[in-house]
Amino acid sequence: MKKISSLFLIATLFVSTFAVANEVNVFNARHYKADAELYSKFTSMTGIKVNLINGKSGALEKRIIEEGADSSADLYITADAGRCGAMDAKGHLQGGLTSAAIKAAVPKSFRTSKWVGIAKRARIIYYSPERVTGAELSGMSYEGLADPKWKGRLVIRKSSNIYNKSLVASLIENNGKKATAEWAKGVVANMARDSKGNDRAQIMAVAAGEADIAVANTYYLALMLSGKKGAEQQEAAKKVKAFFPNQNGRGTHMNVSCAALVKGAPNKDNAVKLVEFLLTPQSQEHFTNNTFEFPMIDGVSPSPLVVNNLGLDFQQDMKTKLASYGKNQAAALEVMTAAGWK
Amino acid sequence: MLKNLNIWFLSSLIVSLIVLIPILTVFSSFFDETSNYYQILKDTFLFEYISNSLILLFFVLIFTFFIGTGTAYLVSFFEFPLSNFFKWALILSFAVPPYIYAYSLTAFFENYGTAFTILKNLFGDANYNENIPKLDGMFGAILSITFSLYAYVYILARASFLYQSQNLIDLGKNLGFSKFKSFYKVILPSARPAIIAGLSLVAMETLAEFGAVDFFSINTLTTGIYNSWITFDDLAFANRISSFLLLFIFSLFIIENLSRKKAKYHFNSRGGLKQKNKTKLYGSKSFLAFIFCFFILFLSFLFPLSQMLYWTLKFPENLFDLQIIELFSNTLYLVLLSGLLLIVFSLISNYGNRVSKNKALNFLSTLSISGYAIPGVILAIAFITFIAWFDNNIIKSLGFISIKKFFIGSILGLVLVYFIRFYSLAFNGIKSGYEKINISVDESAYLLGYSKRKTFMNIHVPFLRNSLLFIIILISLEIIRELPITLILRPFNFETFATTAYISASEDLLEAAAVPSLFLILIASLFIIVSSKYILRENNE
Repeated sequence: MKKISSLFLIATLFVSTFAVANEVNVFNARHYKADAELYSKFTSMTGIKVNLINGKSGALEKRIIEEGADSSADLYITADAGRCGAMDAKGHLQGGLTSAAIKAAVPKSFRTSKWVGIAKRARIIYYSPERVTGAELSGMSYEGLADPKWKGRLVIRKSSNIYNKSLVASLIENNGKKATAEWAKGVVANMARDSKGNDRAQIMAVAAGEADIAVANTYYLALMLSGKKGAEQQEAAKKVKAFFPNQNGRGTHMNVSCAALVKGAPNKDNAVKLVEFLLTPQSQEHFTNNTFEFPMIDGVSPSPLVVNNLGLDFQQDMKTKLASYGKNQAAALEVMTAAGWK
Repeated sequence: MLKNLNIWFLSSLIVSLIVLIPILTVFSSFFDETSNYYQILKDTFLFEYISNSLILLFFVLIFTFFIGTGTAYLVSFFEFPLSNFFKWALILSFAVPPYIYAYSLTAFFENYGTAFTILKNLFGDANYNENIPKLDGMFGAILSITFSLYAYVYILARASFLYQSQNLIDLGKNLGFSKFKSFYKVILPSARPAIIAGLSLVAMETLAEFGAVDFFSINTLTTGIYNSWITFDDLAFANRISSFLLLFIFSLFIIENLSRKKAKYHFNSRGGLKQKNKTKLYGSKSFLAFIFCFFILFLSFLFPLSQMLYWTLKFPENLFDLQIIELFSNTLYLVLLSGLLLIVFSLISNYGNRVSKNKALNFLSTLSISGYAIPGVILAIAFITFIAWFDNNIIKSLGFISIKKFFIGSILGLVLVYFIRFYSLAFNGIKSGYEKINISVDESAYLLGYSKRKTFMNIHVPFLRNSLLFIIILISLEIIRELPITLILRPFNFETFATTAYISASEDLLEAAAVPSLFLILIASLFIIVSSKYILRENNE
């Protein structure tokens, strides 16, 4: 009898509450503290509870896929357009992010009906002003990273990194797969070391003299300059300068953090409301000041740290559709892998 | 009688089936079509996966062997300053999981990291970065795993040294061997089964390691499985690598089981039963022994602890952002629930084995302990795959509502997979406790008119109390540190110290990872300190 009652006790421990509530379920691959603050602001404004499951994007996507039509996910928020595009291609998203507010806020090439960009970042070149001359950089493009003059001077993350995959996907979109395959070989030949570490580590490698140029996203330098990473990294950040490539052509490669509407979302309306909220000037300002991304909407300026140190008046690539990042993702990885990019 | 047997059989059968689910799932997709990822991978990565796994394994085994047996030898046979303290302090390294060790290494050695700050404060401004070794990549992974796992070798080697008969040691002396020679020729060979058992545990954990290896972006078989599943949607290929890895791990598992049996033989052969005399060390020898143990304690425990503490103090805002009480209660909840389930079922299985002596039952139990050999990542993936398949093909076709919600992203699913992973810890722990209760005790009890239930409650359970306590602590430690299963299967708004640390670290917010890491280390240390006397097995015999 005792056994039965203890088994019953165990069973009751498992039963979680399945009460229907006014909520929205977010599979969240962006783990900035600032985001959590925004979500609680949303809850206090609308009364809609934001349920979060944090994780790396790959694992979250898998869960959405395996749960299929029964998935509890409403929104999938992640830091790369390629990921949203890939989820779309696999048929796990649905249309619905088409409200007037969304359409008015986000430029066309940065959204589809199934996912929209909520904040922008550029993937740019960082260089050491001591060791790289203006002449060397003049007219520099992503394509130019394969130029033999950079032999032994370049650092960039691993090929498995999604930002690199999206960058290479955009090159494939613009230059074709064959040319990009050659390009990847040139890049690998120029590397100062085997790829390792995150974006910030690439910038620090330039600061520390391990390499002369690095490829990394814009917000990392601002983060280091902000002092949030400590005085040493602040000092280090001052030793590198930012350069926006492809200014003479299509513009600098842009990427977004995106919010995607999951197929079968149980709280679709609330999901749309949350996306609209993230695109309000108030939320956008919160992003720019805390994560140092570029705002998605007009009328909000980036953090002063970004403006003063990276410059604002650069030409963004508005031509290449962000949807192509997802489409060319597999080809991008194939090209990098074949070139021996670690 | 027969009815009774059926209950044991049934519960063992259920447990075995649950544990077998992931293994069967993995092997069943062995012959599935794989996407062209396989082709790309075969050309470039597969070789890298295998060689990286082997390199990692090789160096971790060598290092853990030297550190584990070295420290065990010193504290078992010699007296030197703080030797009694080191005896238990050396197992504190268990509190630092490899991924937290990896964060510490990076924090300290990276460009403009803690080492740079220290040098700058000591000697003024200069570019020290070039001269600071970068302990990352493969080397970093080897160090992280080594310092986190050597205690397996240490504990088992020490236990074996402890019960080595004084006669054996005297034999060495009588033969005129030097200390080193008698260690090498007499002590070490007789402790071999225990050391091999320790090393095979290390090997299994190393092959299954995910957090640290992923952090340093080393492509091993385990991360390869994860990537081919996550990035390329190639479950078939993920499962194919898994089957390969599993074969490898199972051979280790068998080695471990065999040597454990032998190790037990050695534990019991306390020939002579003479109190072993520890040699007191003097002068430089005593200093060297002290320095060696201190060095290992420092590197394995004090270094990551102080790096995390330093960061917590340097960036105190992270401390206030963390829902410490919630994280703690979540962790505790998982520990209690899984602990209870594991203990109940392994008690039932063990008792069933004991009273029935049924061959089939025995075989089932042996099968069901294989979960520990399977990396957590694979278990979680296979579990989701299985539930999705079962739901789509069976539950729905029978017209029931989907069961996915109950198993994927729920406490139930999470605890089930913990159960699969850690069942062998509980089962083996209770088994070794039971082996110390002679079967004649049961027979006497029956003669006295005790029922089976009464025998179990009034005789077995009190006898097993220490084993049970030890197992609970062991399971707690594992669950506190567990990462991949929790990461993949946890429900909404549910974090543990481990997942919080991992997520901050993966977002390049290592300093924010410091606070949950620090708490994880402290809580795990507390568990270790409380249970050190059980782990060290001195009062256990």
